[in-house]
Amino acid sequence: MEFSWPDDDARFRQALRDFLDETLPEDWEEISRHGPGSDAQASFSRDFCARLADRGWLTQSWPAAYGGADATPWRHAILSEEMWRCGEPRGSQYMNVNWIGPTIMKYGSEAQKREHLPRISRGDVLWCQGFSEPEAGSDLVSLRTLALRDGDDYVVNGSKIWTSYVNGAEWCFLLVRTDPESTRHKGITVLLAPMDAPGVEVREVPAVVGERYFHELFFRDARFPASTRLGPEGEGWSVVSYALAYERVGAMRYARAGLTLDALAAAAAERGRLDDPALQEKLGAARAAVEASRLLSYRVIDLRARGSEPTADTNIARVAGTMCENAVSDLALELFGPDGLEYGTFAESYFRLAMTAGVAVGTTEINLNLIASRFLDLPRE
Amino acid sequence: MDFEPNEEQRAIRLAVETLLTQHAGPARAIELERDGGYDHALAAALTEADFLGASLSQETGFLEAALVVEAVAKAGGVVSAAAETLVAPAVVGRSLDGPVAIGSLGEEVPIRFGGHAHTLLVDAGEEVQVVTVEPGWREPVRSNFMTPLGRIRVPEGAGDSLGDGSGATLRRWWRLAIALECLGALEGALDVTVEYVKRRRQFGRAIGSFQAIQHRLAQCAVQVEATRWLCYEAAADGAPEEASAIAAAYATDTAHHVFRETHQLTGAMGYTREHDLHVYSMRLEALRVELGGTAAHRRAITQSRWAS
Repeated sequence: MEFSWPDDDARFRQALRDFLDETLPEDWEEISRHGPGSDAQASFSRDFCARLADRGWLTQSWPAAYGGADATPWRHAILSEEMWRCGEPRGSQYMNVNWIGPTIMKYGSEAQKREHLPRISRGDVLWCQGFSEPEAGSDLVSLRTLALRDGDDYVVNGSKIWTSYVNGAEWCFLLVRTDPESTRHKGITVLLAPMDAPGVEVREVPAVVGERYFHELFFRDARFPASTRLGPEGEGWSVVSYALAYERVGAMRYARAGLTLDALAAAAAERGRLDDPALQEKLGAARAAVEASRLLSYRVIDLRARGSEPTADTNIARVAGTMCENAVSDLALELFGPDGLEYGTFAESYFRLAMTAGVAVGTTEINLNLIASRFLDLPRE
Repeated sequence: MDFEPNEEQRAIRLAVETLLTQHAGPARAIELERDGGYDHALAAALTEADFLGASLSQETGFLEAALVVEAVAKAGGVVSAAAETLVAPAVVGRSLDGPVAIGSLGEEVPIRFGGHAHTLLVDAGEEVQVVTVEPGWREPVRSNFMTPLGRIRVPEGAGDSLGDGSGATLRRWWRLAIALECLGALEGALDVTVEYVKRRRQFGRAIGSFQAIQHRLAQCAVQVEATRWLCYEAAADGAPEEASAIAAAYATDTAHHVFRETHQLTGAMGYTREHDLHVYSMRLEALRVELGGTAAHRRAITQSRWAS
């Protein structure tokens, strides 16, 4: 066991921080407060990711064969930490790099790789994710959006919901059912669907968590060429399982929580409240939750770095991540009191960002189910 | 960054676990508890193998010493391994005559191993006093918390000071020691409870197949795993002030949570002397009130990180 960073990783982190200092505009904090789905952040991310790509950092973790630099999972974790620390200026493009690109590398045709990977690695394309449906949330395999083969096309009918990052998205990583007689895991297929196809309609679901945060996607006889299919027909569940294993700890959200907590402590000190023993206890508890989340996320990176198959450690890290975000955001509102209720203030922005932690990317309950069966080996019914 | 134990760490873990299988375990702890005893036989075996005292940390490192402290706690060992193998070597720089107890100046409260200690480390604020305890100063305290307790009355002027600043050093290592002992006991408590709910059948099925039970144990597992890495990182880094306070705060908070959950889920059986849970659970409660408890550890985090 070894818990310190090698010098070259430490230098990389410093170079990244210097780059962020130079690159992020003065009003970045203002832009970031409207949430990752906002117009401002969506357009900002294209410019920012292109610059990150120029430095060779955007897809450094990808294999050299796909334009990456074969950087270690640890390098990728450092990148993610530093991005989250300052409010994820990559916007939705972290998804492209973390799991959409790698899943295309594993399952994509040569044509799909040629079409998508260079754009992702240049940082000038936005994707969204079409997974959940009104009747298929945690029980994702009950999805019903139907894609029927008609000549060289799939004709898609159905709807997706809770889709984020639709703003400006050109492509959707779309889960459909290609066999209408199938149930559960069988008969599911992944399509790399162009969002500008006729028959695709987007509607925002207004929500308290931020501008353009949730959307509903409607597909009415939308036609997608069969060449948009990722992996074999009916084998989409394997594809999505692969993607999800990458997705769940791709985002080092504790880094944002940690920085927010430091700012809360500074605010408490300004208000002369840092001597209050009750507040000291709450700050200390939140700090411990941040560190717990950091180390459990590192454990997942460590397993990935040694080439292990995904384990329940991923789910453990997710649950700890939610505990961390809840602890910090509870404290944010408590510390600022009624001032923190005003939209766009520091406390409110973090509270809003963090409030979906236990639901996003799989609910806490689903993670606990998986920990029970895979980590504790508890019997199924 | 590397979270897997290296060859030496694996060998140490295996060796101490093998020894503990022979000399310790919950049944042994239950047997000793009847007369509030200290496990001198286990202490002798651990000393013989260099697992008790300063040589392990001096020859390999504090992380390896930490692994031994964890293993002893996981085996329910009734020896002052944390004080002897981790705290004393780090703070005093040498082995001390065991059993070793740790307490705070001016607090004549029951402390762990207080009824048996040959040496007492006293947190006197700025400094540490190392006291050779005379038998007449010790008073064993009856307790149900599965760890021998006692009060020690130290006469004025007894003990050698380690000098100004040593007090803070002691508190850092003491916090880490508490966290590591929690970790071992947490693993023990969770393991026996998971075994219990797999075996125990009601309503025609193992109760461990009910989601209401699975979620509670999975939540415990998350916190135990977090405790593990907080402890190991703090040990590897030499018990930094903030990291040790974090390990202790998180571990003792988890200790109380796991105490409640494991007793709830093992029902009446978990309270009995014939089930192993109490060996771990009761100790967890003793650990979580030491050195000011969770609240004090949390305040220490804030003072270390943000007070300037």
